[in-house]
Amino acid sequence: MELLCSSAKYRVPTQFTVNKTLDKDDLLMLRSLTRLLRKNMWAASKPSQTKKDSTGGPLSKNVKVNETLIKQSFGNSSDLVVRELRVGPGGRFTVLVVYVDGLVDKTLISENLIERISDQTAKWCNPEQAYDDLKNRIIAVSDVKETGDLDNFLNHVARGDCGLIINDVAKALVADTRGWAQRKIEEPTTEATIRGAKEGFVETLRTNTSLLRRRVKHPRLRIEEHEIGTISKTSVAIAYISGLADEKVVQEVRNRLGRINVDSIQESGQIEELIEDAPFSPFPTILRTERPDKVAGALFEGRIAILTDGTPFALIVPATFTMFLTSPEDYFERTFMASAVRAIRYLSFFTSLTLPSLYVAVTTFHQEMLPTPLILNIASQREGVPFPAVVEALLMEVLFEILREAGVRLPRIVGPAVSIIGGLVIGEAAMRAGLVSPIMVVVVAATGIASFATPVFSVAIGARLLRFIMVLLAGSIGFFGIVAGLFALATHLTSLRSFGVPFMEPIAPAVVSQFKDLLARVPWWAMHTRPALVGHKDLVRQGYDQKPKPPASSGKDTHR
Amino acid sequence: METEGGRISGSQLLALLVLTRLVPVTIEFPLVTGIEVPQDAWISSLVGTVLSIPPVLLMVHLSLKYPDKTIIEYSQLLLGKFFGKIIGFVLVWYWLSIAATMLRSVGDAYTTAVMPETPILAFILTVGFLSANAARTGLEVVGRLGEVNMLVVLLFGFLTLTLPYKVMNFENLLPVIAKGIRPIMLPTGTAISFFVQFIILGMVVPYLNNPQTLTKSSLGAIAISGFMMTAFTVALIAVFGPTVSSLMLPAFSLGRMISIGEFLERIEIIPMGAWTITVAITLAFFLWASAVAIAQLLGLRRFQALIYPLAAISVAFSILFFESFLDLELYFKEVWVPYSLTLTLGITIILYVASLIRGRSSASEKVIGSCHRNG
Repeated sequence: MELLCSSAKYRVPTQFTVNKTLDKDDLLMLRSLTRLLRKNMWAASKPSQTKKDSTGGPLSKNVKVNETLIKQSFGNSSDLVVRELRVGPGGRFTVLVVYVDGLVDKTLISENLIERISDQTAKWCNPEQAYDDLKNRIIAVSDVKETGDLDNFLNHVARGDCGLIINDVAKALVADTRGWAQRKIEEPTTEATIRGAKEGFVETLRTNTSLLRRRVKHPRLRIEEHEIGTISKTSVAIAYISGLADEKVVQEVRNRLGRINVDSIQESGQIEELIEDAPFSPFPTILRTERPDKVAGALFEGRIAILTDGTPFALIVPATFTMFLTSPEDYFERTFMASAVRAIRYLSFFTSLTLPSLYVAVTTFHQEMLPTPLILNIASQREGVPFPAVVEALLMEVLFEILREAGVRLPRIVGPAVSIIGGLVIGEAAMRAGLVSPIMVVVVAATGIASFATPVFSVAIGARLLRFIMVLLAGSIGFFGIVAGLFALATHLTSLRSFGVPFMEPIAPAVVSQFKDLLARVPWWAMHTRPALVGHKDLVRQGYDQKPKPPASSGKDTHR
Repeated sequence: METEGGRISGSQLLALLVLTRLVPVTIEFPLVTGIEVPQDAWISSLVGTVLSIPPVLLMVHLSLKYPDKTIIEYSQLLLGKFFGKIIGFVLVWYWLSIAATMLRSVGDAYTTAVMPETPILAFILTVGFLSANAARTGLEVVGRLGEVNMLVVLLFGFLTLTLPYKVMNFENLLPVIAKGIRPIMLPTGTAISFFVQFIILGMVVPYLNNPQTLTKSSLGAIAISGFMMTAFTVALIAVFGPTVSSLMLPAFSLGRMISIGEFLERIEIIPMGAWTITVAITLAFFLWASAVAIAQLLGLRRFQALIYPLAAISVAFSILFFESFLDLELYFKEVWVPYSLTLTLGITIILYVASLIRGRSSASEKVIGSCHRNG
């Protein structure tokens, strides 16, 4: 409420400035109007925020005043705990212990803070001495900071630190006592693999950075923390390996994160939309994953990860199209199988994009393409169907999408029932009722399965949406329509960039050195270089001539 | 001030040039249609390829004298503002007329072979719009699309060439040069007239990563496209014999002959789809060149604004220029060869002579100056 009022107050003078410039400059009227409005709104909103933030100022020397200030700032919230302790010789000194219940490790506070502070044997003469002694000796917590600013103090407390204030000292100590209930590290549900690590990120940033640090045990792994969201104050960390990642790209990531001015960040999806290169593309230009091994792999290629507190989904930039069709196990399975599976994935992406439209085009316009028995078969099946193929296809696709969305939302218990009914309705009954032809059901089912073969869900969504457009194009002008759609898509994808790197690299532009990791994945002993456009800082990643071979003597039958 | 910000690599230029040469004409194939001695057309193709090397090398040489200028800019430098601009506008006209023929080819190919009842404008407008869309994104994207597409085209070309092996009869190629040299001359001219479209490289040179790759790219493009054209000619003659000269869409008919087992038949629409995309890319290239040329002629800062109007103009041209498919064939046979040859060779020679004269006197300082700025 307060925020709203203050920004409204600031917007009033804005309009005057706009009017003034309007008279001067008629030609650029519209543009300058919008620009000015935008600029002034930013200008108006920024001070209002800082004003709200800076209610406190410095801490007072008086403990009572501090206590009231803290309680007021939190509006007497029930989870704020302010405990007053009498310590020192004869209980001369008052210490305030401030923390938010639920965000702290309570045993840590009682054993390492309160118990030790309350020790009456200490021989302090004045509060300053007590303060120093607390800071340097008594508090048995590894990370202790001091602050003289009320805001800073409150920020720390709101994050799960424990604040300590002594009377007659205008400074406070904050000890890191964070500890809260969090999900166990589990196998990621959306990106399961057969081979490879089974751990996934959780909602706590610190745990996630530790998962990364465990995979990159080198001081060159840099983790920079930023705070985004004026109210939510979400921690967002940029992780990269210094010397591998291009410093310019890191700076660009910092800049883009710094530009974000929102009240809250709930999920990394918000950050993604606020910093991506192509906001209106159906395809994402930032890769998200909840797999630490995937993030670590990207870091080793010279990419940059953005981890957000409160979500298991990390972002990876720069991302390229091929990364979305790559699964970590491609790099762990045997090379032939990995390459074959990758080819299957590309095929299924293409299938999920075009199969229904190909069906529509072939049955409506290009019947000659199919072998005669098959086309006769289709024709006889379609005999009773009252709709043209395009309507049939759209109908089935929409039904399928509804079924799929319902499947995600269903409670576990009713899930099987609905999927059976849905399957029956779509598969059998619709066919029997003469709404759709059996071949259409096959097409829709194949498309649906193909769309699940994409390792990263967000790119499958793009294909899912475009599929409908392709069906409409095929229904109106046949194969030419599909070709036109594909060309428009190719143009769009080729023109995309993700943090300076062409999105379709290494296909367009062709980067020959990267073909080793495109359709086929060469064995690891041949994976000499990092992706040229991303890891150009330190291109060679491993030694040459590592192809394993048996020792020279084993060729002859020495065992005889 | 720079009109185009992107840069392309030598291999991307090679791809664009190959497509420029190969694609617009593959479907009509004026090299074999309606000529006197069709079984010798492959000789004409081969000779034409070799003969087109000197003029193309001349264009390359000329462009490399001014590696930081487009042909529009250095023609004004060489001939003065007025005559230079005339040359510029003539080139724009030439490119737009090529764009119009390409659009018409797509439209005619589809209305003749695939969907006779759909109005031709449906195809022309779609391709025109898509190409304009691609051209707007700049040379970089067009180059990348071209690079990928060349591989696709070569793949489909290879398949179309080899898969109808059952119906090929190489005795159709005999007798060789039965009626003397004269009947081979005209198709040779046709072949060269398509190679001299390479004058468009004059627009690309300043936007190359490394201008020194230009010679290699151009010669590579001649070699690849010359080989493909000759191979296609041989395959066509081997499959259809002397009747090839009366076919309407020879390459399309070749695709029709593909039959693998009992299940892959009549798949000509797939190579045709690839061909359509290729035309769209080539068209985008020509639209881009025209737009940048006009922007430079008129001193505009952004060429993007010109793309859609130019696309609209070429769509209109494609409808106005030709009444029917036969008209287009007639154009390629009777108008195109002298038109293309005189225009491009004329411009190249005039500019080259001018550069020689200027090179001796004042312009040499300017050239040296520009080289310094470049390096």
